[in-house]
Amino acid sequence: MEIINLEGTEETPKVILDKANGIFEISGRSLPEDVSAFYGKVLKWLDEYAAAPNPETTFIFKLEYFNTASSKIILDLLSKLEGLANAKIHWYHHDDDEDMEEAGKEFQEIVDGVPFEFKTY
Amino acid sequence: MSEEVLDALTKVFAITTLQDGGSSPKEESFVAEYFQEVLAQDAIAGYIQKYRDYYDKLWKDFGTRVAENEKEVLPGEEIATKKVSDEDRAFQKFSVKLGGLFRKEIAPEKESRLVLSQKILILVRMLELLASDGRVSSKRLEVVKTSADYLVKDENIYRVVKDFVFMSANELIGQENILTVSPIYIPRTQTIKHIQVERLDGELIFLRMPDANMYFVKYTGKENIKLNDFLMKPNKIYQFTSGSIIRTQAGTSFYFSDIVTTFTSDQQKQKLSFNAIEIEYKFKNGNLGLRGVTVAEDAGNLIGIMGASGAGKTTLLNVLAGLETPSKGQVLLNGIDIHREKDKAQGVIGYVAQDDLLIEELTVYQNLYYNTKLCFKNLSETELDERVMKTLEDLGLAHIRSLKVGNVLNKTISGGQRKRLNIALELIREPAVMFLDEPTSGLSSKDSENVLDLLKELSAKGKLIFVVIHQPSSDIFKMFNKLIILDTGGYQAFYGNPVDAVIYFKKQDNQLRAEEGQCPSCGNVNPEQIFDIIEARTIDESGRYTSQRKKTPVQWNELFVKNFSEKVQAVPEETAAPPKALDLPNFFQQTLIFTIRDFLAKIGNKQYIVINLLEAPLLAFLLAFIIRFENDPLTRGYTYRYNDNIPAYILICVLVALFMGLTVSAEEIIKDKKIQRRESFLNLSRHSYLFSKLIILFTLSAIQTLTFVIIGNAILGVQAMNIMYWLVLFTVSCFANVLGLNISATFNSVVTVYITIPLLLIPQMILSGVIFNFDKLNQLVSDRGQVPLIADLMVSRWGFEAIAVEQFKSNKYQKPYFEYEKEESICDYRSKFWVDEMENTVVRISKLANTDSAKKVKKKYLALLATEIERERKADLRTTYGKAKRPKFDKYASALGKVSMDTYNEEVAQNLKEYLHELFKYYSNRRNVANKQKNEDIDFYESKVKGYKLDVYKNKYFNESLSDLVRNANIRDKILEYNGKLLQQVDPVFQDPLLPANALDYRTQFLAPAKYFFGKNIGTYYFNLAVIWLMTIILYITLYFETFKKIFEISLFSKAVKKKK
Repeated sequence: MEIINLEGTEETPKVILDKANGIFEISGRSLPEDVSAFYGKVLKWLDEYAAAPNPETTFIFKLEYFNTASSKIILDLLSKLEGLANAKIHWYHHDDDEDMEEAGKEFQEIVDGVPFEFKTY
Repeated sequence: MSEEVLDALTKVFAITTLQDGGSSPKEESFVAEYFQEVLAQDAIAGYIQKYRDYYDKLWKDFGTRVAENEKEVLPGEEIATKKVSDEDRAFQKFSVKLGGLFRKEIAPEKESRLVLSQKILILVRMLELLASDGRVSSKRLEVVKTSADYLVKDENIYRVVKDFVFMSANELIGQENILTVSPIYIPRTQTIKHIQVERLDGELIFLRMPDANMYFVKYTGKENIKLNDFLMKPNKIYQFTSGSIIRTQAGTSFYFSDIVTTFTSDQQKQKLSFNAIEIEYKFKNGNLGLRGVTVAEDAGNLIGIMGASGAGKTTLLNVLAGLETPSKGQVLLNGIDIHREKDKAQGVIGYVAQDDLLIEELTVYQNLYYNTKLCFKNLSETELDERVMKTLEDLGLAHIRSLKVGNVLNKTISGGQRKRLNIALELIREPAVMFLDEPTSGLSSKDSENVLDLLKELSAKGKLIFVVIHQPSSDIFKMFNKLIILDTGGYQAFYGNPVDAVIYFKKQDNQLRAEEGQCPSCGNVNPEQIFDIIEARTIDESGRYTSQRKKTPVQWNELFVKNFSEKVQAVPEETAAPPKALDLPNFFQQTLIFTIRDFLAKIGNKQYIVINLLEAPLLAFLLAFIIRFENDPLTRGYTYRYNDNIPAYILICVLVALFMGLTVSAEEIIKDKKIQRRESFLNLSRHSYLFSKLIILFTLSAIQTLTFVIIGNAILGVQAMNIMYWLVLFTVSCFANVLGLNISATFNSVVTVYITIPLLLIPQMILSGVIFNFDKLNQLVSDRGQVPLIADLMVSRWGFEAIAVEQFKSNKYQKPYFEYEKEESICDYRSKFWVDEMENTVVRISKLANTDSAKKVKKKYLALLATEIERERKADLRTTYGKAKRPKFDKYASALGKVSMDTYNEEVAQNLKEYLHELFKYYSNRRNVANKQKNEDIDFYESKVKGYKLDVYKNKYFNESLSDLVRNANIRDKILEYNGKLLQQVDPVFQDPLLPANALDYRTQFLAPAKYFFGKNIGTYYFNLAVIWLMTIILYITLYFETFKKIFEISLFSKAVKKKK
């Protein structure tokens, strides 16, 4: 499977999706002009991955900020992980960033079947 | 909407207004308004509180966070140009919460809790929420846009709705799904849909959402515009649902259907021409009902017919609808004369009478469903259901679809709903031309308006609708495209626009300000004015009104001809066949549908079912229990053999079958009379209708008689006879059913029907042959030796005889020996009684003196002797034994030929005596043979058949009383001279019909074992059953042709004529 490696910008997060090496990470700020355009490729990649997943999947979110539109995409993304066996989520937030921690907790409440682990950086 | 969804929506609203300073009072009141729209009154307050509580909770969290406003810089953010505020950060978790609400509560992906139209409505309200206080920030919009993404896949929907909410008419016009209404002239193009009106402040803007089949409307001006009689708030978005009407202050109305057709203007209009020129109608009594009335219309019009009572409104409607044939003139629908080419016009016309045509025991849905099923054979179940539901929705009846209609006294649905359902029955067919007779009579003004709105909408769709209307309100009056006014005697007084009618009559009356058709300030029209003018009376010298009219109907008509004959012209004739709104199922399908409908109606009435099913077993128990008594002299218990009540029991069985059959059916048709008239208008099969009645009634009869027989026979110990009994009783009951239907179809009130029942049943008792002996009736009726002809009309006699004879002939005891005992009976009669009587006659002759009077007697005696000798010989030669074994008696041939006045002498007498003696010997011998065979058989059975004992069998299966009856055991004179013949009085059940006069001479003594028919002896049981069925069939034919009703009407009519003379 091809590797997605997007460099982060002020408005878009850094994305690495590497099946072979088991790296799945989104980090940085997410407030793109057109959310669906930006995340379209990512969601499609995940659909393909879900068809033949690794035995274990650990997805890392290391976000600084996401806007409302992005929140829906992240929820879509988490929903896709729900269907996978042995998937888990590492939700990173900055020591001081209670907002991001609480947002993660909210996601955790909505998404069933995928364990969340909260970590700081 | 469910509680979960509403709860979640309160939260969504709270989150939406959180950013950019929180919710404002206007926004709060908008939310309150939303609840008023979707909730029942008592629940609104609770939900508003819920919203407030939730909002306060969120705001406590979010608001404080915003207030802190600590400018903390996170790593990597120092260089960012696009700043993220603390408020943005604080909102992150609320945006996730929003997602949770949609994904978990409002629109989970796996189950659809809301239909598309509901989702769109939520979206509209969310956008309006933002618009309500004009605080539309990009952050808030982002929340709504994200919500839209959760709700609907199609991003276009959000864009279209957003534009509609925020844009002005100028910006919107030209969009694909927008229609604008304003006083400005804008040319219509492919894309621009616009309606120009005379006067309107601002614009009306309509939005169509084709995927969800929804329409929205908003008004941007300051006038009082009413949507379904509610004032429209400026810029508020309303759903424009089917049947809605918008009325502007200037009096222009926009009907839902108008708007729909404007959007889809490429839709084809129905082509109709309806021309009725100079119609005249003559009543049966020769009076004229209509004089030269002219109606000429094309598609898409709603025509009102008004007039004083007795002016002939209904007559005109009936003539135009094709129910009554005009005496002069034709009614041409697309060139088809609807009276003389009925088959071509069939199904095109719809007619709604004033009558109530609903079936009380069925639900609203079922009434419409079966009606539709009868009209269209090719609709699938889903199409049918869709069509019914759509019609119910259109008429605002969908929410009461599963309520039983009930009757006028026992109301479950309101009068307006009844009326609308009655109209729906015809409306669902979508006939091109419809006629309605006072559809608003007895309705509240609100309900009347609803009904007329509906008709107006239909006419806007291209139908042509005629309505007889009485005292319409101003609003209703103005809805008509045209008005026909009739004056007393069927004269036409006006034909044209309704408001013009007021002006026209005011002018004719030389009134002031005649040009004002409607009130200049309120726009109201007073239709009463018209009739005040038409019927105005002259005043005498003392100032009192006389009975003289100022203008007679003839004068009004002359004015009409003068003023209108130019204007009223036949419309150009369309030649295309008018669209047919009827596709009748075949005979069997119709029968099936009728049967199911009737069955559902019957089981809908629990009392009816319970009484009908319990009646028979209860009666059987009562009867059998009472007549079972301790009758066995040996055991002091009960033995069937000695029950003296069995013959009476059989009679009661037959009478009960008759009674039950008659009462259950007597009301059937009278109840459906009106419905049937309508069904014959639709040309539905009367056979199907009657057959469905028969299927249900016969089934009920089968069940009733079966339970009756099983219980009655079980208690009385009548064994192995159930099927035999049942078949007779069932047959009798079926006959009674058809008889009941006949009287039900004959009379016009239930009381008359029930008075008739004893009239039909008592003769059945009198002439059953059991209560009164057939031989002891008035000589005008009675016919010795044969059942009187009048009794042959009685089913009771056939039914009783069938059971009694069969029970005697074929019970397990009697059956093997019946033929032997018959032989014995024949021989006994001949040898003991007949030969005796003959010999006595010979002796009597010899003792006669030689006087004239004695000669007469002698002649009579000789004739009797000659006849009887011949009859005996002939009869005997028809029996099996006689054919094979009867001696020739050649020796006596010459003597027997001389039994007449001229040739009779001592020698002949001597020979005759000898002959009779020979016959005596012959019959004695024959009796011995039969008796011997019978005894052999008894011995055989007793020795060979296990468990067979003659005595035991006799006790079990043989009844003494019944045997006495069928053998006429108690008669004093075993033989009787009647009409120059000797009649056998004893053993009728052993007397086969041996000397029929012709092929059809079925007549015999009562309780004969068989009947003669076309050269064959047929067992009484089957013959009698066949007779009853034959009578049933004849009654079905009279039922189909309503023979009795016609006879009744003719006799009443001729009486009336005589009186007149």
